[in-house]
Amino acid sequence: MSIWDKLSQGLGQALHGLAPASPSQEALARQESWTRALDGKTLPDFVQRRLQETAAGRLPWLTTATPAELLLQKSHGIRPLGFVSGNCWYHFGYSWTQGHIDGWHGALERLRSEAYLMGANAVVDVQMRVRKGESDDMDYAVSGTAIRIDSLPESGNPLVATVSAVEFVRLLEGGMVPVGVAIGAYYDWYQPPYGRAQGERSWWNQELTDVSAFQQQVRRRALYALGEDGQRQGGSVLAHTQFTHMARQEGDSENPERFLCRHIAIGTVIDHDRRVAPGIPARPVYSLRQSLLTASSHQKRPLV
Amino acid sequence: MTDITEHLAPHAVERLKGLRAQGSHEGIFTSDLSVNEFVMVRKAGFEPLGLVVGSCIYHMGIQYGQWSQNMEMDVLSQAMYQARELAMSRMEQEAILLRADGIVGVRLEVKRMEWDQEILEFMAIGTAIAHRDGQEGFKGVGGKPFTSDLSGQDFWMLLQAGYRPMEMVMGSCVYHVAHQGFMKSMGNLGRNTELEPFTQAMYDARELAMERMQHEAQDAQADGITGVNLHEGSHNWQPHVIEFFAVGTAVKAMEHANDLVDALSPQLVIPVND
Repeated sequence: MSIWDKLSQGLGQALHGLAPASPSQEALARQESWTRALDGKTLPDFVQRRLQETAAGRLPWLTTATPAELLLQKSHGIRPLGFVSGNCWYHFGYSWTQGHIDGWHGALERLRSEAYLMGANAVVDVQMRVRKGESDDMDYAVSGTAIRIDSLPESGNPLVATVSAVEFVRLLEGGMVPVGVAIGAYYDWYQPPYGRAQGERSWWNQELTDVSAFQQQVRRRALYALGEDGQRQGGSVLAHTQFTHMARQEGDSENPERFLCRHIAIGTVIDHDRRVAPGIPARPVYSLRQSLLTASSHQKRPLV
Repeated sequence: MTDITEHLAPHAVERLKGLRAQGSHEGIFTSDLSVNEFVMVRKAGFEPLGLVVGSCIYHMGIQYGQWSQNMEMDVLSQAMYQARELAMSRMEQEAILLRADGIVGVRLEVKRMEWDQEILEFMAIGTAIAHRDGQEGFKGVGGKPFTSDLSGQDFWMLLQAGYRPMEMVMGSCVYHVAHQGFMKSMGNLGRNTELEPFTQAMYDARELAMERMQHEAQDAQADGITGVNLHEGSHNWQPHVIEFFAVGTAVKAMEHANDLVDALSPQLVIPVND
């Protein structure tokens, strides 16, 4: 092949790559199935089939557990069924804060429905992540491993736990049941009565008492909502993520200055009997694991 | 292979079978403890009552340090103290309302507000706890709930070692480190040498922070301070202005502390998995 032929062939391939590709009939049918399933709050047939065949052992199982964890699970009569996930790409129409609640709950419900289809007792090692969209939107995604406890029948309402399967069992043995994930969020606006927050422009040390009180109130309402969501699921909440955002909107000739505060908290719901002490044995152990030369502080800054 | 359901509480088995969607509403709480912390706090005989939060949005006063002088910025030191104290006291108030014995896992966070460099947000957050059987003798100074930045695991270990937490104590010092003069800078060209005024400034600032923290512990009638942490930070101040912040949990020995320690035999282990 001459150099000219090679160049013209390469150019042809490059131009072919630039032309918009059309999806195959199969891909279009698949997309149609997704649309129908999401509208009907269910899962497409091909997903249901894969999950059920995996649970039945006709397809290989999948797990997020390490080999060591897998061994421990096996010794406790726990069987991994498969990797389950759910997501919800959500647009914030009127409220970013409420959008977080709805987005997470939407994703978690989908995760639970996949686990239900597999006949799982619980989903463990649940990871949560977000992806920011291009404007007022965000993708909320959750994934984890559906597990089955051999001596129990399949559950109509699988539990959702952010801990690993081994920790899950340890908690169960201690009389504590991780039940699900709770979300609490609240936002509000505050307009200072005299157009400016008290003490905002002073020269000396001073608390902005009205803004402090406003923020405290927003945070309390969000945490109250978190508690209520936990209560709805019948448990207490161990909150592992909290986020507060506060912003000031500059005033102009028509609109006075105002403040926006929003708070979001996400936590694991635990059902336990507080009258009973945990039966987990504990003994003090000092680990001699070698570590890098690090600064002796909580931040663990490397020294070299 | 063991059948784990034989060792599980009936409510746990019901949950796993999906037969029960609701637990008991008695004693429902929110907390930012991790699962392990939660287990160990319960193991220590305590129950979480709720998440307690105190915050304070504070306008920092104005103070300028002399260019070539090492000196404490007392206006800023006072501001950092007062604002933290306000956040802590509000958190304590919430714990008092919950009739807590104390607060564990306290975190003190400082954040600059994005709309104004002079305004900082101070937040104290922790989990209020109370003894499961109502046993007394765990309250802190003046019968108020104790405060501690120890984790749930450390709290359990502290009690095992025969100590109880009294108060989270802190010492703060905002310090201006003097600039070097032009002649001095020129004199150091090409030489390896200690910058003594800088060393001295860091020493002095650290010493002041530690002294203050120790003084707070003395006021709390504590025997010692555990988990001491020294933070260095500049909250968007000029490059030569730095805050040394010392924080720890003041502790007091309980009765029969020595017997407790003798019964304890920590085991040394070498993990082989990493």
